[in-house]
Amino acid sequence: MNVHDERPQETTGTDTLIRDTQETERAWSVVVWDDPVTPMAVVTLVFKKVFGYSESKATQLMLQVHHDGRSAVWSGSRDRAEGYCIKLHAFGLQATVEQA
Amino acid sequence: MLRPKVFSAGRDGQIRVKLNDGAREFLEVVVDSIIAAETNHEHEWHATLHRPITPELDADDPLRVFERQQILESNAAVMKASIRNATISTAEAWAWLATMQLALRARTAEAGVNTEDDLKKAKPQELETIQALQFFLFELSSALL
Repeated sequence: MNVHDERPQETTGTDTLIRDTQETERAWSVVVWDDPVTPMAVVTLVFKKVFGYSESKATQLMLQVHHDGRSAVWSGSRDRAEGYCIKLHAFGLQATVEQA
Repeated sequence: MLRPKVFSAGRDGQIRVKLNDGAREFLEVVVDSIIAAETNHEHEWHATLHRPITPELDADDPLRVFERQQILESNAAVMKASIRNATISTAEAWAWLATMQLALRARTAEAGVNTEDDLKKAKPQELETIQALQFFLFELSSALL
């Protein structure tokens, strides 16, 4: 599409289908939220256990949660994001799923 | 002098548990509270165990909610069954960690502690429970490294 063409664009069925598909395919993120009581070592350990992350990646994400108040620790399909989220809930971490 | 570890990993893959009767009774109350809160909607801890999974949607997938409930109940049941053991397996240790961490979050929410400042203002009795759970979690996580 010419970006300088300011004429109103007609929306076709194909355009709608493409937009809907893109909407569906947007990644979902697992977000972990900071809390004032969970020991840092536990957060790192749980990230390693749930996601299979290395010590350094798990520590980096734990520190991001601690300093920024939240961290998107995983992105991908909604189904897998929700699966990871309930595992984090089972470990008592504050986590939610959101579309990126 | 080095303080003896509460939880220590052995070469056989088992975790040695050196807790006195008072500590085991404390943890037994904790795990009973999780079991009670999971099914009793009126329990003070129930809401913490049932936080939204995808807040931007009107409601979470009931199958996901059920799946989470199954995991929580299973972990609590495993901890309850092994609470008096001198050694626990790694799988049991993970169940202990999950259940104690859930209890920590639930007790904290019950006390209205959401920030560092809230924590400083917590009542001595609330703080005692929170710190005890933090201690056991820290010790157990060291054994699971």
